[in-house]
Amino acid sequence: MERFLISGILSGFASVLANLGVAVFNDGLRPMVPEFLEGRIDRKALAATSFALSFGLVIGFGIPFSIGSAIILIHSILLGTDIIGVSTPRNKTGTVMAGIIGALYGIGLVFGLEKIVELFSKMPIDFLPSLAKVGAPIIVGFSVFPALVVGYQYGAKKGAFTLITALLVRQITTVFGKIPVSQNVNITLNSDGMALLISVIIMLVFAISDKETEKTDSNKMLVGIFSARVARVKKNIIPLSIMGGLIAAACSLRIVAGDPISLKLLTETLKGMAAGDIRNFEAGLVALARSIGFVPLVATTAITTGVYGPAGMTLVFAVGIFIKNPIIAFFVGTLILALEIFLLEFIAKTLDKFPGVKACGDHIRTSMTKVLEISLLVGGMIAANEMAGGNGLGFLFVSGFYLLNKTSKKPLVDMAVGPVATILFGIILNILYVLQLYVPVAVK
Amino acid sequence: MKITVGGQIDKENVAELLKKYFPEGEITIKSDIDAAMDIKLGNADYYFGACNTGGGGALAMAIALIGADKCATLAMPGNVLSEEKIKEEVDKGKIAFGFTPQSAEEIIKTVASFLKIKS
Repeated sequence: MERFLISGILSGFASVLANLGVAVFNDGLRPMVPEFLEGRIDRKALAATSFALSFGLVIGFGIPFSIGSAIILIHSILLGTDIIGVSTPRNKTGTVMAGIIGALYGIGLVFGLEKIVELFSKMPIDFLPSLAKVGAPIIVGFSVFPALVVGYQYGAKKGAFTLITALLVRQITTVFGKIPVSQNVNITLNSDGMALLISVIIMLVFAISDKETEKTDSNKMLVGIFSARVARVKKNIIPLSIMGGLIAAACSLRIVAGDPISLKLLTETLKGMAAGDIRNFEAGLVALARSIGFVPLVATTAITTGVYGPAGMTLVFAVGIFIKNPIIAFFVGTLILALEIFLLEFIAKTLDKFPGVKACGDHIRTSMTKVLEISLLVGGMIAANEMAGGNGLGFLFVSGFYLLNKTSKKPLVDMAVGPVATILFGIILNILYVLQLYVPVAVK
Repeated sequence: MKITVGGQIDKENVAELLKKYFPEGEITIKSDIDAAMDIKLGNADYYFGACNTGGGGALAMAIALIGADKCATLAMPGNVLSEEKIKEEVDKGKIAFGFTPQSAEEIIKTVASFLKIKS
Protein backbone atom coordinates (compact mmCIF):
# COMPACT_ATOMS: atom_id res chain seq x y z
CA MET A 1 0.00 0.00 0.00
CA GLU A 2 2.72 2.47 0.96
CA ARG A 3 4.41 1.80 -2.40
CA PHE A 4 1.31 3.06 -4.23
CA LEU A 5 0.98 6.05 -1.93
CA ILE A 6 4.60 7.21 -2.11
CA SER A 7 4.86 6.59 -5.84
CA GLY A 8 1.60 8.52 -6.38
CA ILE A 9 2.66 11.51 -4.27
CA LEU A 10 6.13 11.63 -5.82
CA SER A 11 4.81 11.37 -9.36
CA GLY A 12 1.99 13.86 -8.82
CA PHE A 13 4.26 16.46 -7.24
CA ALA A 14 6.90 16.06 -9.95
CA SER A 15 4.21 16.57 -12.63
CA VAL A 16 3.10 19.81 -10.96
CA LEU A 17 6.70 21.07 -10.86
CA ALA A 18 7.13 20.22 -14.56
CA ASN A 19 3.82 21.93 -15.37
CA LEU A 20 4.98 25.12 -13.63
CA GLY A 21 8.35 24.95 -15.35
CA VAL A 22 10.10 24.74 -11.97
CA ALA A 23 11.84 21.40 -12.53
CA VAL A 24 12.15 18.85 -15.31
CA PHE A 25 14.15 15.63 -15.10
CA ASN A 26 15.40 15.31 -18.67
CA ASP A 27 18.53 17.45 -19.02
CA GLY A 28 17.66 18.01 -22.67
CA LEU A 29 14.23 19.38 -21.91
CA ARG A 30 15.55 21.88 -19.38
CA PRO A 31 16.85 24.42 -21.95
CA MET A 32 13.56 24.20 -23.87
CA VAL A 33 11.52 25.43 -20.88
CA PRO A 34 12.85 29.03 -20.93
CA GLU A 35 12.33 29.02 -24.72
CA PHE A 36 8.65 28.46 -23.92
CA LEU A 37 8.52 30.80 -20.91
CA GLU A 38 9.97 33.61 -23.02
CA GLY A 39 7.56 32.96 -25.86
CA ARG A 40 9.91 31.61 -28.55
CA ILE A 41 8.11 28.27 -28.78
CA ASP A 42 4.50 27.43 -27.89
CA ARG A 43 3.17 24.86 -25.42
CA LYS A 44 2.50 22.36 -28.20
CA ALA A 45 6.09 22.47 -29.40
CA LEU A 46 7.34 22.07 -25.82
CA ALA A 47 5.06 19.07 -25.26
CA ALA A 48 6.15 17.51 -28.56
CA THR A 49 9.81 18.02 -27.66
CA SER A 50 9.37 16.44 -24.24
CA PHE A 51 7.59 13.48 -25.79
CA ALA A 52 10.32 13.02 -28.39
CA LEU A 53 13.07 13.29 -25.79
CA SER A 54 11.56 11.18 -23.06
CA PHE A 55 9.09 8.62 -24.35
CA GLY A 56 11.69 6.39 -25.98
CA LEU A 57 13.70 6.41 -22.76
CA VAL A 58 10.71 5.45 -20.61
CA ILE A 59 9.94 2.48 -22.84
CA GLY A 60 13.47 1.50 -23.79
CA PHE A 61 15.40 2.34 -20.62
CA GLY A 62 13.22 2.96 -17.57
CA ILE A 63 10.72 0.12 -17.86
CA PRO A 64 13.07 -2.75 -18.93
CA PHE A 65 15.26 -2.15 -15.87
CA SER A 66 12.22 -2.02 -13.61
CA ILE A 67 10.45 -5.17 -14.87
CA GLY A 68 10.95 -8.12 -12.60
CA SER A 69 12.86 -6.18 -9.95
CA ALA A 70 11.03 -4.85 -6.93
CA ILE A 71 12.66 -1.43 -7.38
CA ILE A 72 11.58 1.05 -10.04
CA LEU A 73 14.21 2.92 -12.02
CA ILE A 74 13.47 6.60 -11.39
CA HIS A 75 13.59 7.39 -15.12
CA SER A 76 10.33 5.46 -15.57
CA ILE A 77 8.59 7.89 -13.23
CA LEU A 78 10.29 11.24 -13.77
CA LEU A 79 10.54 11.15 -17.56
CA GLY A 80 6.82 10.36 -17.62
CA THR A 81 6.06 13.26 -15.29
CA ASP A 82 8.04 15.59 -17.59
CA ILE A 83 5.70 14.67 -20.43
CA ILE A 84 2.57 14.93 -18.26
CA GLY A 85 3.61 18.27 -16.79
CA VAL A 86 4.40 20.07 -20.04
CA SER A 87 1.51 18.51 -21.98
CA THR A 88 -1.08 19.95 -19.57
CA PRO A 89 -2.00 23.63 -20.02
CA ARG A 90 -0.12 26.32 -18.11
CA ASN A 91 -2.94 27.59 -15.91
CA LYS A 92 -4.55 26.67 -12.57
CA THR A 93 -6.73 23.95 -14.11
CA GLY A 94 -3.76 22.57 -16.02
CA THR A 95 -1.61 22.43 -12.90
CA VAL A 96 -4.31 20.54 -10.98
CA MET A 97 -4.75 18.21 -13.97
CA ALA A 98 -0.99 17.58 -14.04
CA GLY A 99 -1.05 16.67 -10.35
CA ILE A 100 -3.94 14.22 -10.74
CA ILE A 101 -2.71 12.58 -13.95
CA GLY A 102 0.79 12.43 -12.51
CA ALA A 103 -0.39 10.72 -9.31
CA LEU A 104 -2.41 8.20 -11.34
CA TYR A 105 0.64 7.57 -13.51
CA GLY A 106 2.81 6.84 -10.48
CA ILE A 107 0.22 4.47 -9.00
CA GLY A 108 -0.41 2.88 -12.39
CA LEU A 109 3.29 2.26 -12.90
CA VAL A 110 3.66 0.33 -9.63
CA PHE A 111 0.44 -1.57 -10.38
CA GLY A 112 1.39 -2.28 -14.00
CA LEU A 113 4.85 -3.57 -13.14
CA GLU A 114 3.34 -5.90 -10.54
CA LYS A 115 0.75 -7.12 -13.05
CA ILE A 116 3.39 -7.80 -15.69
CA VAL A 117 5.31 -9.93 -13.22
CA GLU A 118 2.10 -11.81 -12.36
CA LEU A 119 1.36 -12.34 -16.04
CA PHE A 120 4.85 -13.69 -16.68
CA SER A 121 4.62 -16.09 -13.76
CA LYS A 122 1.34 -17.50 -15.12
CA MET A 123 2.95 -18.47 -18.43
CA PRO A 124 3.58 -22.16 -19.06
CA ILE A 125 7.30 -21.57 -18.92
CA ASP A 126 8.10 -19.27 -15.99
CA PHE A 127 11.15 -17.31 -17.03
CA LEU A 128 11.22 -14.81 -14.15
CA PRO A 129 13.80 -16.65 -12.06
CA SER A 130 16.14 -16.65 -15.06
CA LEU A 131 15.37 -13.01 -15.84
CA ALA A 132 16.92 -12.00 -12.53
CA LYS A 133 20.24 -13.36 -13.81
CA VAL A 134 20.52 -10.47 -16.29
CA GLY A 135 21.90 -8.38 -13.44
CA ALA A 136 24.39 -10.99 -12.22
CA PRO A 137 27.54 -9.71 -14.00
CA ILE A 138 26.89 -6.04 -13.19
CA ILE A 139 26.84 -6.73 -9.46
CA VAL A 140 30.56 -7.44 -9.47
CA GLY A 141 31.56 -5.99 -12.84
CA PHE A 142 30.59 -2.42 -12.09
CA SER A 143 33.66 -2.04 -9.85
CA VAL A 144 35.79 -1.52 -12.95
CA PHE A 145 34.25 1.88 -13.72
CA PRO A 146 36.68 4.13 -11.79
CA ALA A 147 39.63 2.46 -13.52
CA LEU A 148 37.91 3.04 -16.85
CA VAL A 149 37.39 6.72 -16.00
CA VAL A 150 41.11 7.10 -15.24
CA GLY A 151 41.86 5.26 -18.48
CA TYR A 152 39.70 7.62 -20.53
CA GLN A 153 41.06 10.71 -18.86
CA TYR A 154 44.77 9.92 -18.44
CA GLY A 155 45.46 6.96 -20.70
CA ALA A 156 45.42 3.19 -20.45
CA LYS A 157 48.58 2.96 -18.30
CA LYS A 158 47.12 4.90 -15.40
CA GLY A 159 43.83 3.09 -15.90
CA ALA A 160 45.57 -0.27 -15.61
CA PHE A 161 47.42 0.98 -12.52
CA THR A 162 44.08 1.81 -10.89
CA LEU A 163 42.61 -1.57 -11.78
CA ILE A 164 45.63 -3.52 -10.53
CA THR A 165 45.71 -1.52 -7.27
CA ALA A 166 42.02 -2.28 -6.75
CA LEU A 167 42.56 -5.99 -7.41
CA LEU A 168 45.52 -6.07 -5.00
CA VAL A 169 43.51 -4.31 -2.30
CA ARG A 170 40.70 -6.79 -2.87
CA GLN A 171 43.01 -9.76 -2.36
CA ILE A 172 44.86 -8.23 0.59
CA THR A 173 41.60 -7.51 2.42
CA THR A 174 40.34 -11.00 1.61
CA VAL A 175 43.38 -12.59 3.21
CA PHE A 176 44.27 -10.10 5.96
CA GLY A 177 40.93 -8.30 6.35
CA LYS A 178 40.17 -9.62 9.83
CA ILE A 179 41.17 -7.09 12.42
CA PRO A 180 41.14 -8.51 15.92
CA VAL A 181 39.67 -5.98 18.34
CA SER A 182 39.66 -8.16 21.43
CA GLN A 183 39.40 -11.87 22.07
CA ASN A 184 36.67 -13.48 19.94
CA VAL A 185 35.78 -10.16 18.28
CA ASN A 186 36.94 -9.44 14.77
CA ILE A 187 36.12 -6.60 12.42
CA THR A 188 36.00 -8.00 8.91
CA LEU A 189 36.70 -5.55 6.12
CA ASN A 190 34.72 -6.28 2.99
CA SER A 191 37.03 -6.87 0.05
CA ASP A 192 34.69 -5.77 -2.76
CA GLY A 193 33.72 -2.62 -0.92
CA MET A 194 37.34 -1.75 -0.13
CA ALA A 195 38.43 -2.33 -3.74
CA LEU A 196 35.73 0.00 -4.99
CA LEU A 197 36.52 2.62 -2.37
CA ILE A 198 40.23 2.61 -3.25
CA SER A 199 39.61 2.94 -6.98
CA VAL A 200 37.10 5.77 -6.45
CA ILE A 201 39.68 7.55 -4.26
CA ILE A 202 42.41 7.12 -6.89
CA MET A 203 40.02 8.46 -9.53
CA LEU A 204 39.24 11.54 -7.43
CA VAL A 205 42.88 12.21 -6.58
CA PHE A 206 43.69 12.18 -10.30
CA ALA A 207 40.76 14.45 -11.06
CA ILE A 208 41.41 17.01 -8.32
CA SER A 209 45.15 17.22 -8.99
CA ASP A 210 44.61 17.52 -12.75
CA LYS A 211 46.79 20.29 -14.16
CA GLU A 212 46.40 19.29 -17.82
CA THR A 213 42.83 20.35 -18.49
CA GLU A 214 42.55 24.03 -19.34
CA LYS A 215 41.10 26.26 -16.62
CA THR A 216 38.39 28.66 -17.69
CA ASP A 217 36.10 31.13 -16.00
CA SER A 218 33.13 29.91 -17.98
CA ASN A 219 30.89 29.11 -15.01
CA LYS A 220 31.64 32.47 -13.41
CA MET A 221 30.68 34.16 -16.68
CA LEU A 222 27.49 32.12 -16.89
CA VAL A 223 26.46 33.14 -13.37
CA GLY A 224 26.92 36.76 -14.43
CA ILE A 225 25.06 36.46 -17.73
CA PHE A 226 22.12 34.49 -16.34
CA SER A 227 21.65 36.11 -12.93
CA ALA A 228 17.88 36.47 -13.49
CA ARG A 229 17.59 32.74 -14.16
CA VAL A 230 19.62 31.85 -11.08
CA ALA A 231 17.22 33.98 -9.08
CA ARG A 232 14.29 32.03 -10.53
CA VAL A 233 15.75 28.73 -9.26
CA LYS A 234 16.31 30.23 -5.81
CA LYS A 235 12.75 31.54 -5.69
CA ASN A 236 11.48 27.95 -5.96
CA ILE A 237 13.74 26.54 -3.26
CA ILE A 238 10.88 25.30 -1.02
CA PRO A 239 8.92 23.13 -3.50
CA LEU A 240 12.19 21.85 -4.98
CA SER A 241 13.51 20.84 -1.56
CA ILE A 242 10.28 18.95 -0.79
CA MET A 243 10.64 17.14 -4.13
CA GLY A 244 14.20 16.14 -3.21
CA GLY A 245 12.99 14.90 0.17
CA LEU A 246 10.25 12.80 -1.45
CA ILE A 247 12.77 11.13 -3.75
CA ALA A 248 15.15 10.42 -0.85
CA ALA A 249 12.26 8.90 1.14
CA ALA A 250 11.12 6.76 -1.81
CA CYS A 251 14.69 5.59 -2.29
CA SER A 252 15.09 4.75 1.42
CA LEU A 253 11.93 2.61 1.19
CA ARG A 254 13.56 0.89 -1.81
CA ILE A 255 10.70 1.94 -4.08
CA VAL A 256 12.98 3.73 -6.54
CA ALA A 257 16.67 3.79 -7.49
CA GLY A 258 18.53 6.47 -9.41
CA ASP A 259 20.53 4.37 -11.84
CA PRO A 260 20.60 0.78 -13.13
CA ILE A 261 23.79 -0.17 -11.28
CA SER A 262 22.65 0.82 -7.79
CA LEU A 263 19.22 -0.64 -8.63
CA LYS A 264 20.71 -4.07 -9.24
CA LEU A 265 22.87 -3.81 -6.12
CA LEU A 266 19.91 -2.76 -3.98
CA THR A 267 17.80 -5.59 -5.40
CA GLU A 268 20.42 -7.93 -3.95
CA THR A 269 19.91 -6.45 -0.48
CA LEU A 270 16.15 -7.16 -0.67
CA LYS A 271 16.70 -10.87 -0.93
CA GLY A 272 17.81 -10.93 2.68
CA MET A 273 21.27 -12.09 1.71
CA ALA A 274 24.15 -12.00 4.15
CA ALA A 275 25.95 -9.57 1.84
CA GLY A 276 23.12 -7.05 2.15
CA ASP A 277 25.03 -4.36 4.03
CA ILE A 278 27.98 -4.59 1.68
CA ARG A 279 25.81 -4.29 -1.42
CA ASN A 280 24.10 -1.36 0.22
CA PHE A 281 27.42 0.37 0.83
CA GLU A 282 28.47 -0.30 -2.77
CA ALA A 283 25.17 1.01 -4.11
CA GLY A 284 25.63 4.18 -2.05
CA LEU A 285 29.18 4.64 -3.29
CA VAL A 286 28.06 4.16 -6.91
CA ALA A 287 25.28 6.70 -6.42
CA LEU A 288 27.76 9.18 -4.95
CA ALA A 289 30.29 8.65 -7.73
CA ARG A 290 27.57 9.08 -10.31
CA SER A 291 26.62 12.38 -8.71
CA ILE A 292 30.08 13.71 -9.63
CA GLY A 293 28.88 13.33 -13.19
CA PHE A 294 25.68 15.22 -12.51
CA VAL A 295 26.75 18.07 -10.24
CA PRO A 296 28.35 20.05 -13.12
CA LEU A 297 25.58 19.18 -15.58
CA VAL A 298 22.70 20.08 -13.29
CA ALA A 299 24.44 23.19 -11.92
CA THR A 300 25.23 24.61 -15.36
CA THR A 301 21.86 23.79 -16.92
CA ALA A 302 20.08 25.24 -13.88
CA ILE A 303 22.08 28.47 -14.07
CA THR A 304 21.55 28.90 -17.81
CA THR A 305 17.85 27.95 -17.84
CA GLY A 306 16.37 28.88 -14.46
CA VAL A 307 14.91 25.37 -14.30
CA TYR A 308 16.10 22.74 -11.83
CA GLY A 309 15.82 18.95 -11.80
CA PRO A 310 13.41 17.14 -9.46
CA ALA A 311 16.26 14.98 -8.18
CA GLY A 312 18.68 17.94 -8.25
CA MET A 313 22.32 16.90 -8.47
CA THR A 314 21.23 13.30 -7.75
CA LEU A 315 22.79 13.36 -4.26
CA VAL A 316 19.34 12.61 -2.80
CA PHE A 317 19.63 9.03 -4.09
CA ALA A 318 22.74 8.45 -2.00
CA VAL A 319 20.86 9.92 1.00
CA GLY A 320 18.05 7.42 0.47
CA ILE A 321 20.43 4.50 0.11
CA PHE A 322 22.44 5.25 3.26
CA ILE A 323 19.53 6.33 5.48
CA LYS A 324 17.00 3.53 5.82
CA ASN A 325 14.45 5.45 7.86
CA PRO A 326 12.19 7.18 5.29
CA ILE A 327 11.25 10.07 7.58
CA ILE A 328 14.86 10.95 8.39
CA ALA A 329 15.75 10.41 4.72
CA PHE A 330 13.00 12.87 3.75
CA PHE A 331 14.39 15.61 6.00
CA VAL A 332 18.02 15.02 5.01
CA GLY A 333 17.01 14.89 1.34
CA THR A 334 15.13 18.18 1.71
CA LEU A 335 18.13 19.76 3.37
CA ILE A 336 20.58 18.49 0.73
CA LEU A 337 18.50 19.85 -2.14
CA ALA A 338 18.06 23.18 -0.37
CA LEU A 339 21.84 23.39 0.12
CA GLU A 340 22.46 22.59 -3.56
CA ILE A 341 20.28 25.51 -4.59
CA PHE A 342 21.56 27.80 -1.87
CA LEU A 343 25.16 27.14 -2.94
CA LEU A 344 24.45 27.03 -6.68
CA GLU A 345 26.75 29.90 -7.73
CA PHE A 346 29.43 28.81 -5.28
CA ILE A 347 29.40 25.24 -6.65
CA ALA A 348 29.60 26.50 -10.23
CA LYS A 349 32.53 28.83 -9.50
CA THR A 350 34.36 26.11 -7.56
CA LEU A 351 34.03 23.81 -10.57
CA ASP A 352 35.99 26.41 -12.58
CA LYS A 353 38.94 25.83 -10.24
CA PHE A 354 38.90 22.06 -10.77
CA PRO A 355 38.46 21.49 -14.50
CA GLY A 356 39.62 17.89 -14.02
CA VAL A 357 36.58 17.16 -11.88
CA LYS A 358 34.18 18.33 -14.55
CA ALA A 359 35.98 16.27 -17.19
CA CYS A 360 35.96 13.38 -14.72
CA GLY A 361 32.19 13.77 -14.44
CA ASP A 362 31.77 13.39 -18.18
CA HIS A 363 33.97 10.28 -18.16
CA ILE A 364 32.09 8.75 -15.21
CA ARG A 365 28.89 8.84 -17.22
CA THR A 366 30.60 7.37 -20.29
CA SER A 367 32.21 4.62 -18.21
CA MET A 368 29.04 3.62 -16.40
CA THR A 369 27.27 3.38 -19.74
CA LYS A 370 30.01 1.17 -21.18
CA VAL A 371 30.08 -1.08 -18.10
CA LEU A 372 26.29 -1.44 -18.23
CA GLU A 373 26.36 -2.23 -21.94
CA ILE A 374 28.79 -5.11 -21.64
CA SER A 375 27.58 -6.51 -18.31
CA LEU A 376 23.92 -6.50 -19.26
CA LEU A 377 24.64 -7.99 -22.67
CA VAL A 378 26.55 -10.88 -21.09
CA GLY A 379 23.94 -11.12 -18.32
CA GLY A 380 21.17 -11.23 -20.92
CA MET A 381 22.92 -14.02 -22.80
CA ILE A 382 23.40 -16.06 -19.63
CA ALA A 383 19.79 -15.51 -18.53
CA ALA A 384 18.28 -16.32 -21.94
CA ASN A 385 20.42 -19.41 -22.28
CA GLU A 386 19.29 -20.63 -18.88
CA MET A 387 15.63 -20.07 -19.83
CA ALA A 388 15.84 -22.47 -22.73
CA GLY A 389 17.50 -25.15 -20.63
CA GLY A 390 21.00 -24.25 -21.76
CA ASN A 391 20.56 -25.39 -25.35
CA GLY A 392 22.28 -22.33 -26.82
CA LEU A 393 19.17 -20.78 -28.35
CA GLY A 394 19.37 -17.90 -25.88
CA PHE A 395 22.95 -17.06 -26.88
CA LEU A 396 21.92 -16.94 -30.50
CA PHE A 397 18.87 -14.76 -29.90
CA VAL A 398 20.41 -12.15 -27.59
CA SER A 399 23.62 -11.69 -29.59
CA GLY A 400 21.61 -11.55 -32.80
CA PHE A 401 19.27 -8.97 -31.30
CA TYR A 402 22.17 -6.83 -30.07
CA LEU A 403 23.96 -6.79 -33.41
CA LEU A 404 20.83 -6.28 -35.51
CA ASN A 405 19.75 -3.44 -33.22
CA LYS A 406 22.89 -1.59 -34.30
CA THR A 407 21.74 -1.67 -37.92
CA SER A 408 18.22 -0.48 -37.09
CA LYS A 409 16.93 2.97 -38.01
CA LYS A 410 15.21 3.07 -34.64
CA PRO A 411 17.73 1.40 -32.36
CA LEU A 412 17.31 0.78 -28.65
CA VAL A 413 19.95 2.24 -26.34
CA ASP A 414 22.74 -0.38 -26.24
CA MET A 415 22.43 -0.58 -22.44
CA ALA A 416 18.82 -1.69 -22.66
CA VAL A 417 19.37 -4.44 -25.23
CA GLY A 418 20.28 -7.09 -22.64
CA PRO A 419 17.14 -6.74 -20.51
CA VAL A 420 14.78 -6.13 -23.44
CA ALA A 421 16.08 -9.04 -25.51
CA THR A 422 15.88 -11.37 -22.51
CA ILE A 423 12.26 -10.48 -21.75
CA LEU A 424 11.38 -10.88 -25.43
CA PHE A 425 13.11 -14.23 -25.54
CA GLY A 426 11.10 -15.45 -22.54
CA ILE A 427 7.87 -14.52 -24.32
CA ILE A 428 9.01 -16.07 -27.61
CA LEU A 429 9.91 -19.25 -25.77
CA ASN A 430 6.37 -19.49 -24.44
CA ILE A 431 4.94 -18.96 -27.93
CA LEU A 432 7.20 -21.69 -29.29
CA TYR A 433 6.04 -23.93 -26.46
CA VAL A 434 2.39 -23.37 -27.36
CA LEU A 435 3.22 -24.13 -31.01
CA GLN A 436 4.99 -27.25 -29.76
CA LEU A 437 8.23 -26.09 -31.34
CA TYR A 438 9.98 -26.05 -28.01
CA VAL A 439 9.93 -28.85 -25.49
CA PRO A 440 11.30 -27.86 -22.11
CA VAL A 441 13.35 -30.25 -20.05
CA ALA A 442 10.96 -29.98 -17.14
CA VAL A 443 7.49 -28.43 -17.30
CA LYS A 444 5.87 -26.90 -14.22
CA MET B 1 36.21 24.92 -40.81
CA LYS B 2 36.43 25.04 -37.01
CA ILE B 3 34.55 22.33 -35.16
CA THR B 4 34.15 22.08 -31.41
CA VAL B 5 33.22 18.88 -29.56
CA GLY B 6 30.96 19.47 -26.57
CA GLY B 7 28.37 17.15 -25.18
CA GLN B 8 28.73 14.90 -22.19
CA ILE B 9 30.04 11.50 -23.16
CA ASP B 10 32.25 9.74 -25.67
CA LYS B 11 34.01 12.98 -26.66
CA GLU B 12 37.20 11.27 -27.79
CA ASN B 13 35.27 8.99 -30.08
CA VAL B 14 33.29 11.90 -31.54
CA ALA B 15 36.52 13.82 -32.16
CA GLU B 16 38.10 10.78 -33.88
CA LEU B 17 35.10 10.44 -36.16
CA LEU B 18 35.13 14.15 -36.96
CA LYS B 19 38.80 13.91 -37.92
CA LYS B 20 37.92 11.03 -40.20
CA TYR B 21 35.10 12.82 -42.02
CA PHE B 22 36.43 16.40 -41.81
CA PRO B 23 40.10 15.80 -42.59
CA GLU B 24 40.64 19.54 -43.22
CA GLY B 25 38.66 20.65 -40.16
CA GLU B 26 40.18 22.11 -37.01
CA ILE B 27 38.75 19.99 -34.20
CA THR B 28 38.93 20.77 -30.48
CA ILE B 29 37.45 18.93 -27.51
CA LYS B 30 36.05 21.20 -24.80
CA SER B 31 33.74 21.02 -21.84
CA ASP B 32 30.15 21.49 -22.98
CA ILE B 33 29.97 25.06 -21.64
CA ASP B 34 33.20 26.15 -23.28
CA ALA B 35 32.23 24.49 -26.52
CA ALA B 36 28.88 26.29 -26.49
CA MET B 37 30.63 29.56 -25.61
CA ASP B 38 32.98 29.10 -28.58
CA ILE B 39 30.09 28.75 -30.95
CA LYS B 40 28.31 31.75 -29.41
CA LEU B 41 31.38 33.95 -29.72
CA GLY B 42 32.05 32.75 -33.25
CA ASN B 43 35.32 30.97 -32.37
CA ALA B 44 33.87 27.80 -33.89
CA ASP B 45 31.62 27.15 -36.88
CA TYR B 46 29.99 23.92 -35.78
CA TYR B 47 29.28 22.09 -32.53
CA PHE B 48 28.94 18.32 -32.18
CA GLY B 49 27.99 16.59 -28.95
CA ALA B 50 26.83 13.18 -27.78
CA CYS B 51 24.88 11.96 -24.79
CA ASN B 52 22.53 9.09 -24.05
CA THR B 53 19.45 11.02 -25.11
CA GLY B 54 20.99 12.90 -28.02
CA GLY B 55 19.48 16.09 -26.66
CA GLY B 56 20.24 16.25 -22.94
CA GLY B 57 23.88 16.69 -22.08
CA ALA B 58 24.66 16.78 -25.78
CA LEU B 59 22.91 20.04 -26.50
CA ALA B 60 21.70 21.51 -23.21
CA MET B 61 24.39 24.19 -22.98
CA ALA B 62 24.30 24.94 -26.69
CA ILE B 63 20.53 25.49 -26.60
CA ALA B 64 20.84 27.69 -23.52
CA LEU B 65 23.54 29.84 -25.08
CA ILE B 66 22.73 30.05 -28.79
CA GLY B 67 19.02 29.19 -28.79
CA ALA B 68 17.06 26.14 -29.83
CA ASP B 69 16.65 27.42 -33.39
CA LYS B 70 20.37 26.83 -34.02
CA CYS B 71 20.45 23.31 -32.54
CA ALA B 72 19.22 19.97 -33.77
CA THR B 73 19.03 16.52 -32.22
CA LEU B 74 19.81 14.15 -35.09
CA ALA B 75 19.67 10.84 -33.25
CA MET B 76 17.87 9.89 -30.07
CA PRO B 77 17.14 6.51 -28.51
CA GLY B 78 14.81 4.69 -30.85
CA ASN B 79 14.96 7.33 -33.57
CA VAL B 80 17.72 8.26 -35.99
CA LEU B 81 16.78 10.97 -38.47
CA SER B 82 16.79 10.05 -42.14
CA GLU B 83 19.32 11.60 -44.52
CA GLU B 84 16.64 13.90 -45.98
CA LYS B 85 15.69 15.12 -42.50
CA ILE B 86 19.34 15.74 -41.61
CA LYS B 87 19.77 17.70 -44.86
CA GLU B 88 16.73 19.79 -43.92
CA GLU B 89 18.27 20.64 -40.55
CA VAL B 90 21.59 21.59 -42.13
CA ASP B 91 19.83 23.70 -44.76
CA LYS B 92 17.88 25.48 -42.02
CA GLY B 93 21.22 26.76 -40.79
CA LYS B 94 21.57 24.60 -37.70
CA ILE B 95 25.11 24.71 -36.39
CA ALA B 96 24.97 22.57 -33.23
CA PHE B 97 24.21 18.87 -33.51
CA GLY B 98 23.41 16.35 -30.81
CA PHE B 99 23.13 12.57 -31.14
CA THR B 100 23.51 9.30 -29.25
CA PRO B 101 27.02 7.77 -29.17
CA GLN B 102 25.90 4.60 -30.93
CA SER B 103 24.74 6.60 -33.96
CA ALA B 104 27.72 8.99 -33.93
CA GLU B 105 29.49 7.63 -37.01
CA GLU B 106 26.41 7.53 -39.19
CA ILE B 107 25.36 11.05 -38.19
CA ILE B 108 28.79 12.64 -38.55
CA LYS B 109 29.26 11.00 -41.94
CA THR B 110 25.90 12.31 -43.18
CA VAL B 111 26.33 15.81 -41.79
CA ALA B 112 29.81 15.99 -43.27
CA SER B 113 28.52 15.13 -46.73
CA PHE B 114 25.88 17.90 -46.62
CA LEU B 115 28.20 20.50 -45.10
CA LYS B 116 30.72 19.84 -47.86
CA ILE B 117 28.02 20.44 -50.49
CA LYS B 118 27.03 23.64 -48.69
CA SER B 119 30.51 25.07 -48.45
